[in-house]
Amino acid sequence: MRTNKYVLWGMTKSTLIHVFLMSVAMTCLFPIFWMIRCAFMTNDTVFVDKALIPHHLNFGNFATAWTQGNFAVYFLNSVIYTVCVVGGIVLISSLAAYSFSRLKFPGKNIIFYLFVAAMMIPLPGSFVALFVLMTKLHLVNTRFGYILCMINVGLSMSILLFKTFFDKMPPELEDAARIDGCTKLGIWWNMAMPFARPAIAVIVIFNSLNVWNEYILATLLLEDSKLMPLQRGLVVFQGANSTDYPVLMAGLTMAAIPIIVVYLAMQKHIVKGLSSGEVLG
Amino acid sequence: MRKFLTLCSCLIFLALAGCSQPPEPSNKLLLWHWMTDRNDTFQKFAQEYQKETGKEVTIQLFAPSDSYSQKIIAAAQANVLPDIYGILDKKSIVADFIKADLVADLTKDMEADGGKWENSLFDKALADRRFDAGNTYGVAPGIYGVPIDVTNEQILYNKKLLAKAGIKAPPQTFDEFVKDAQALKRVGITPFVSGWGELWLLDCFASNYAFNIMGEEKIFDTYRGKVKYTDPDWIKVFSIFAELRDKGVLMDGIVTKGNKYAEQDFALERAAFTFNGSWCVNVYHDMNPDLDYAVIPPPPISTAYPLKIWGSAGSTFVVNASSPNKNSAIAFLKWLTAKEQQVALARETNNLPSNKEALAGVSPILEEFAKGMDQSTHPNIWPLNEDPSVSEAFDKGIQDIIIGEKTPEQVAEEVQKAKDLQMAKGNH
Repeated sequence: MRTNKYVLWGMTKSTLIHVFLMSVAMTCLFPIFWMIRCAFMTNDTVFVDKALIPHHLNFGNFATAWTQGNFAVYFLNSVIYTVCVVGGIVLISSLAAYSFSRLKFPGKNIIFYLFVAAMMIPLPGSFVALFVLMTKLHLVNTRFGYILCMINVGLSMSILLFKTFFDKMPPELEDAARIDGCTKLGIWWNMAMPFARPAIAVIVIFNSLNVWNEYILATLLLEDSKLMPLQRGLVVFQGANSTDYPVLMAGLTMAAIPIIVVYLAMQKHIVKGLSSGEVLG
Repeated sequence: MRKFLTLCSCLIFLALAGCSQPPEPSNKLLLWHWMTDRNDTFQKFAQEYQKETGKEVTIQLFAPSDSYSQKIIAAAQANVLPDIYGILDKKSIVADFIKADLVADLTKDMEADGGKWENSLFDKALADRRFDAGNTYGVAPGIYGVPIDVTNEQILYNKKLLAKAGIKAPPQTFDEFVKDAQALKRVGITPFVSGWGELWLLDCFASNYAFNIMGEEKIFDTYRGKVKYTDPDWIKVFSIFAELRDKGVLMDGIVTKGNKYAEQDFALERAAFTFNGSWCVNVYHDMNPDLDYAVIPPPPISTAYPLKIWGSAGSTFVVNASSPNKNSAIAFLKWLTAKEQQVALARETNNLPSNKEALAGVSPILEEFAKGMDQSTHPNIWPLNEDPSVSEAFDKGIQDIIIGEKTPEQVAEEVQKAKDLQMAKGNH
């Protein structure tokens, strides 16, 4: 009787938790489903057809989005920007965080807090200063200028995350490596970076998403449409007064695929870190 | 070594910062704009212009308009504005650009050949960027922009829905409008929708009737603080919204509706009347190409004064005063606003052309909108405007009337309080 009561309570609890989780999952997945659904509709049916699965599927929107939105060029640009920026952020922020965590130099804390304080400044607040600086450096309308700025945007958060990991790294490991003849750079590469793998996964996902969806800074710094990222292609379908919803949704669907792939690829590292108790940030 | 590297870095930075050369005239023009829907047409124009004149015009699109505005402000501060651009801000900001010598005075070019260019354009559209002598902005008198299209806001009605309710002709007076609305309600049709969640659209509608009820002098005297918002004429203006509410004319939730959603409602025939701007022709065409509708000015409630609608330049380009290609830029804008290009622009984008001679080539619905330009006015061309905080109290007060939270008299009192506060601060 007692066992039955516990079993019943366990089942009820489990059901309630699952119902709750399923509703949360639904709220996350439904907009994605709606985006894909609208991508198969036409301008005539998108506001009229209320069915969950459209009565007539229109596959042409994807081709229209790809050609009209000039996606081929923008897609390549976004891949270049994402790879360079995320790579740059991981490299620079891990080196900086390692220095803040392990090295002793004058003004260490002040410099670190300045980096952290930079997170508090919203991006639009630094637009004018950034544009003037990049103009003076002749880096406006160059890939390099945009990549530098985007690396700068992602540094503060990433340094903070990496430093939290490196602070928890056992000093004994480092000592042992030093005795074995490892240099500071060697310790960073061979000890600190593998130790911070879950942090790297989080930083890669977070910054990839940020760079992939970025458009405001690109509008500010880039002028030639051949240098613009993917989001520029999507803007074409949003007029000042009217929007081509089905084609826009098709474009959004295509734009979302790579970032979902990155998330799925990195997800296992976070889960692994969580299960082994390594996520400390 | 470290000191040497730091010194080298500083020198390189300073060298880069200081090595900008003064620009020289070239055969190329650069134009920045924000109009996604017109970009393809502009690109075609650029190619045509190059064929005709040999001048290369590079058209660069930066959208949405918020990003574009930020870019313009940043470029102005870095002194790298293009030859031709637009300023998407209120007149006082335009005045700041002019005073900073970032916008060229086009008066001489407009007035050349007996004012040929100036006369070809809608005067109300030019007025948007015209600064008269003694203007409050402290700008030297002149014309500082070229409108490439015009807009105005009027009432639109769905012919099919009106016929369903047995209405044979659109209303000519406000009373007829309310009667028609009730007839529509009887057959289960929502009479009226508009994006009155956006205060400017609500302000526009109220302003139309204020002109009709009390005339412009009394409105401006109210702004000057000489007439109170508790005056019976202003109560009449507020009462219009109470009547529309009480007679069930308005769609539910109208005060929270953005204009895009109101446009969907009208395009999908969920309401018989709407109040919208001439850009809607393109929007309705995209959403429902078969929509059968027509345009009328808001039906007047009084015969005391003419009803005025809001209408002015839609999109305006300015010429960079410090551009070495200033004259070429002006020549290109002259070409862009010539009849042939304006007809093509209107045809491809369904916007009202700024060139009066191009009206012959527009669709019948745009032609109806164009008729309204004669009775149009706009806050940008008024001699003075109400303080923004008072305008906000005015518009939000009307929203309160519509949702039944306040009476016209209560709102009038509150708006007057906001006005008194501003007068006490000396803002009048």
